[in-house]
Amino acid sequence: MDVVTQMQRQLLQYTSSLFKEGFLDDQFNQLQQLQDESNPEFVVEVVTLFFEDAERLLNELSKSLEQESIDFRRVDAHVHQLKGSSSSIGAQRVQRVCIAFKNFCEQQNVEGCLKSLQEIKQEYSLVKTKLETLFKMEKQLFAAGGSVSR
Amino acid sequence: MATTKFRHVFGRLWGFATSCKKRTTSSSNSIGTRILQRDVEKEEFQFASTLCLSSYYSVFVVRLAIMVMLAILIGLLTILTWHFTKIYTTKSLNSLAYDLRYELLQRPILRMWNILNSTSEITIAQVKLSQYVIRSHGNLTTQEDQVEMYEAMRAVTWALFASRKALNSITVKYNNGFVQAFHRDIKDNNTFYIYSDLANYSIGASGYNSELNYSSLSSQESSWNDNDNKSTVWYRQPLDPVTGEKIEKAMQIAPEDSIHIAGLSQVPDGVASWRVAVSKFTDSPLLSAALPVWDSSNKSIVAVVGVTTALYSVGQLMKELVELHSGHMYLTSLEGYLLATSTDAPLLDNSTQPPKLKMAVDCENEVIRLGAEYLRRSSGNKFPPSHEVHVANVRLGHDRYYIDSFFLNLKRLPLVGVIIIPRKHILGQVDERAFKTLVILISASMCIIVIGWVCILILTNGVSKEMKLRAELISQLEARRKAEASSNYKSQFLANMSHELRTPMAAIIGLLDILMSDDCLTNEQCATVTQIRKCSTALLRLLNNILDISKVESGKLVLEDAEFDLGRELEGLVDMFSVQCINHSVETVLDLSDDMPKLVRGDSARVVQIFANLINNSIKFTPSGHVILRGWFENPNPCSDNANFLMEEKKLQYAQKTIRAKQHENHAKRTSERDKKAVLWFEVDDTGCGIDPSKWDSVFESFEQADPSTTRLHGGTGLGLCIVRSLVNKMGGEIKVVKKEGPGTLMRLYLRLDTAGDATEQHCLVDIANNGLVVLLALHGNMGRSITSKWLQKNGVFTMEASEWNGLTQILRELFHARSSAGINNGFDVHYPIPESLKSRLLSIQEIRNPVFVIAVDIGLLDLSTDIWKEQLNFLHRYLGLAKFIWVLNHDTSNTIKLELRRKGHMMTVNKPLYKAKIVHILEEVIKERNHEMQKKNMDELHESDYTHCDAASSDDSDISESAPCNPVSSTEKFEQFDLLSRYRINNCLIGLTDEHSEVKTPRKEDSCQNNHNSPKSMSAEQAYFPREAHQGEDSERRGKEEHRIIGGLARPANGKKSLEGLRILLAEDTPVIQRVATIMLEKMGASVVAVGDGQQAVDALNGMLGVEDFRRDSNLNERNTRSSSPQTEILSSPSYDLVLMDCQMPKMDGYEATKAIRKSEVGSGVHIPIVALTAHAMSCDEAKCLEVGMDAYLTKPIDFKLMESTILSLTRRTTS
Repeated sequence: MDVVTQMQRQLLQYTSSLFKEGFLDDQFNQLQQLQDESNPEFVVEVVTLFFEDAERLLNELSKSLEQESIDFRRVDAHVHQLKGSSSSIGAQRVQRVCIAFKNFCEQQNVEGCLKSLQEIKQEYSLVKTKLETLFKMEKQLFAAGGSVSR
Repeated sequence: MATTKFRHVFGRLWGFATSCKKRTTSSSNSIGTRILQRDVEKEEFQFASTLCLSSYYSVFVVRLAIMVMLAILIGLLTILTWHFTKIYTTKSLNSLAYDLRYELLQRPILRMWNILNSTSEITIAQVKLSQYVIRSHGNLTTQEDQVEMYEAMRAVTWALFASRKALNSITVKYNNGFVQAFHRDIKDNNTFYIYSDLANYSIGASGYNSELNYSSLSSQESSWNDNDNKSTVWYRQPLDPVTGEKIEKAMQIAPEDSIHIAGLSQVPDGVASWRVAVSKFTDSPLLSAALPVWDSSNKSIVAVVGVTTALYSVGQLMKELVELHSGHMYLTSLEGYLLATSTDAPLLDNSTQPPKLKMAVDCENEVIRLGAEYLRRSSGNKFPPSHEVHVANVRLGHDRYYIDSFFLNLKRLPLVGVIIIPRKHILGQVDERAFKTLVILISASMCIIVIGWVCILILTNGVSKEMKLRAELISQLEARRKAEASSNYKSQFLANMSHELRTPMAAIIGLLDILMSDDCLTNEQCATVTQIRKCSTALLRLLNNILDISKVESGKLVLEDAEFDLGRELEGLVDMFSVQCINHSVETVLDLSDDMPKLVRGDSARVVQIFANLINNSIKFTPSGHVILRGWFENPNPCSDNANFLMEEKKLQYAQKTIRAKQHENHAKRTSERDKKAVLWFEVDDTGCGIDPSKWDSVFESFEQADPSTTRLHGGTGLGLCIVRSLVNKMGGEIKVVKKEGPGTLMRLYLRLDTAGDATEQHCLVDIANNGLVVLLALHGNMGRSITSKWLQKNGVFTMEASEWNGLTQILRELFHARSSAGINNGFDVHYPIPESLKSRLLSIQEIRNPVFVIAVDIGLLDLSTDIWKEQLNFLHRYLGLAKFIWVLNHDTSNTIKLELRRKGHMMTVNKPLYKAKIVHILEEVIKERNHEMQKKNMDELHESDYTHCDAASSDDSDISESAPCNPVSSTEKFEQFDLLSRYRINNCLIGLTDEHSEVKTPRKEDSCQNNHNSPKSMSAEQAYFPREAHQGEDSERRGKEEHRIIGGLARPANGKKSLEGLRILLAEDTPVIQRVATIMLEKMGASVVAVGDGQQAVDALNGMLGVEDFRRDSNLNERNTRSSSPQTEILSSPSYDLVLMDCQMPKMDGYEATKAIRKSEVGSGVHIPIVALTAHAMSCDEAKCLEVGMDAYLTKPIDFKLMESTILSLTRRTTS
């Protein structure tokens, strides 16, 4: 039982650190609230969806930006999507970079866009690792027989 | 003439330059105006300013160029003018001077010529005569013959001599040595006869001479002559110059003493000889000619005749000429000896013996000497024959001279004539004039240049000043633009900030709501949380205000243009505020004139916001009394019959002010006629503390409050009125504080709104009048009562008023004294003297045939503090058969009272305030009921149940929507009648919930929502009745009931029911994450969700084109969705949806397009499915766009659980009926 409490505490600390460092925001809480008996894996599911979606979008973005004549409208649409999905899971750092990216897009600033893309990728991988760690911890906790207290 | 010419040229130049300038300035000017007119881009601005500056500099350069050109031009003109005048004058003068000089010199030369000629003639004549005389005395044998011959010779010689006055002397020397001579001394004017002593000459000698061989003559002659001269004695005898008579005795003189006798030596070869001789007696050179006299045989020379002519006369002539013309003349021989000069300078050099002729270069006269030297220098010593010199400008000494020389080629005596004329004499004037002209020209042109420069400077100074001003203006415009931009940034910043701030605020409030809905809080905690909730709401309101203001300031506020029922909006507003005012003893009264247009076009939310702010303000500052919202319609085509009592009352009340108001109205009317817009006038009248007249204007400024202490007392930021004014102005109206009698404030404003359809139609005051209605208004609030009463009277309804319980009982007794014979004896019956006015009223009422009494009783009239109210109720109950009772309830009226009323069969209840629409409804009900009653009088006793139903229907009006068991036909009819109103009320609450997040919001709505949360009483009132709707009626009504339940569930989700239970929602969202999240959210709320990936699918789904299989295939999400969602079967069975959540940005077909398509397909079918936009854009323009394409509401991502819930509820509740 000690192990479980410790793990619970660790998980809590980790989660709160994620909030403090700004990786996640309130929206993630809402997601967690939505998870219940009928959808036990809801958060993981949505976040996985987000990962898939984001990776697809990032690929598209890289491709679009590599082209000689950049279709900014397309880029903008992608970024918009990414912004929407990131904000929906509460990955607010990604979302913020998305906003900056969108601005660059409107200014048709290629350098800014490329910079933003790098940032987004970085932020995305960060948040991905963090969330994966989080889920891993949760899984371990479950495996240990504990439950996530909220 | 030259000056006019160049003035002309200058003028043209100037004109060109100015036109150039004008062109540049005009171009910059046009840009300038453009700048002024609109807010231009920065680049354009810089372009304009650089253009202006460059033109400024170009003007400067042009000015310089013009000045330089002017200077050059004038300089050239001056030089040319001077040059031409000078050259032409000089040329003509020179030719003239040449002629003059020529002429001048010609004359002494001619004289010389004459002299020479006459000398030669005389010599020849003398020779001829001598020959003749000598030949006639051929044989001179005797002394007497000789004497005789000499005498004859003398006479002949004299004759010749006398005939020529210019002759100096005539000498005859005979070969025997005898000399006869006549001499004229010019100085003394004496004439002498000189002869040698005859005695010395023998005949022999003469014979010897005659025999003398010509060949030997030359060798002997000189010695002989010399000796002879020395030895001979000469006599000089003065003669009368005219007659030749001897006047004195002859004197003996030395030979050759006074004259030179030409001898044989002068004619060595017998040819005439010419020479210039110098006599020692005269100071002028003499011209002497000598000719020999041959004997008859021409073999020997008998005598030598010599003629001497003085050149003095030539000098004299020269002098005379020179005196006239000034200058100098002289004649020289070819060798350069001076023969005659025009001066008195001696011609002979006296220093040598015998005197010799002077050279011209040695002349004492300086000018002549210098001239001669010059000539010699220029032509050398050898003066070439026939060489003439004409030199015009020779500097001799200090002056300049003309030198001309002529060569006179006489035989054996060539002469050179030189004339030296000072230049000053001929060209002196001309030179002087030319010099003066030059000086004058130069000075004049200098003056002109200077003046021209000054003129250019002055003229261009104006231009450059203008340019400077323009540049300054441009820079200032730039500065202003910058300032505006920064102000814009400020507004932008405010807008963004408040937007950003509202998000956390929404979270706070939402979380607080969650917290409050939790039951686990202690009372203390609950109170704190409630307080926090209130503060948060206040903060949110402030943020909203700021956002509104910044929106208005940045011009981003876009007014909606939709049709809405103004009256209903205002009624809702007053309803809401009356709730708020309950705790104050403030009465909120709505007083709209009958001619107000029912439907107007405009932004209903903003209109409501205006009045909400105003009324809120009024209530805030009104501790007791009333707040009246008056409204009347300014008819574009004035009809006197439309004049309502309100206006009349106003005329009475503010007689002195109406004139001004009228003018104002007229103005407004005129403009409105142009716009085809209705002018709606409103007044918000309160009895509060009032505003100081000096602050009447400033209260509408931002952050301005009439009294700084109000912040302390009442709070607030002073933004409300600013927003109001901005909105009113935006709607084409004006607002101002108007003077009011008595305490309080009167705000008057007018709005210009499009009236929809026939706006001025008199709406449904159908048949209130002439139905024998008598209304007894037993209401607490004075103002509301009197206004209602007046309005009813105007519409032909008898009214009576009672303000308290005793008055009511009294009137009731009086009224029903005759009719209700049943003696009423009650503890409440206190007899008061009835006022006369009341009495007359009662009398007139008694005249009405078959009256219907309607008694509106304010629940406040009952004594609610104790249990007396039950007694009072019983008392009134007695009149139930005689009159219809309408109970005017407060919002906080307790349930027990309501239950009691219901139990007693008093079904007609309305909530305060009692405004027109409610009264109209009630009275209509009453009338209908009566008619119904009369129709069915003979039929059965069924009217009893009908009666109750009607009461129930009426009470629907007041939130207590109760569906009592009723007759199906009439119930649906009536339900629908009241449905609008009740739905509106509920919607208000719901919208209030949503509005905290959406941008369209008013404090009123929040308040109502707050009310829902905070006043458990009203909530419980609703909830108390909802569960009782367990009536299993027709299918058509089921929906409505569901809604009722849902509302209950919303207010208290804890009661186990999900808020969106049974709703079918179509979710169109392309982002899988959001799709998933939203689905789960909605399902959590109990709704069943179908998710599609783009707009096209959404449209297809709505059109029923998409089968279930397609759903599954289209998106794997849907599979999950269908798997997880239990009401799947329901969806399949009926593919109609209650609501669509539409993402705006989607592939294939975006949300806007999809909405358009959906709306298009709906046309004609009468269906209107609510569409809620989901967008990540958070700007109001997106919202406007959403609403424009036909969406009903607007949610921003990330999706807020509560917000979504409330929005969906409000929309489904509204549409499903």
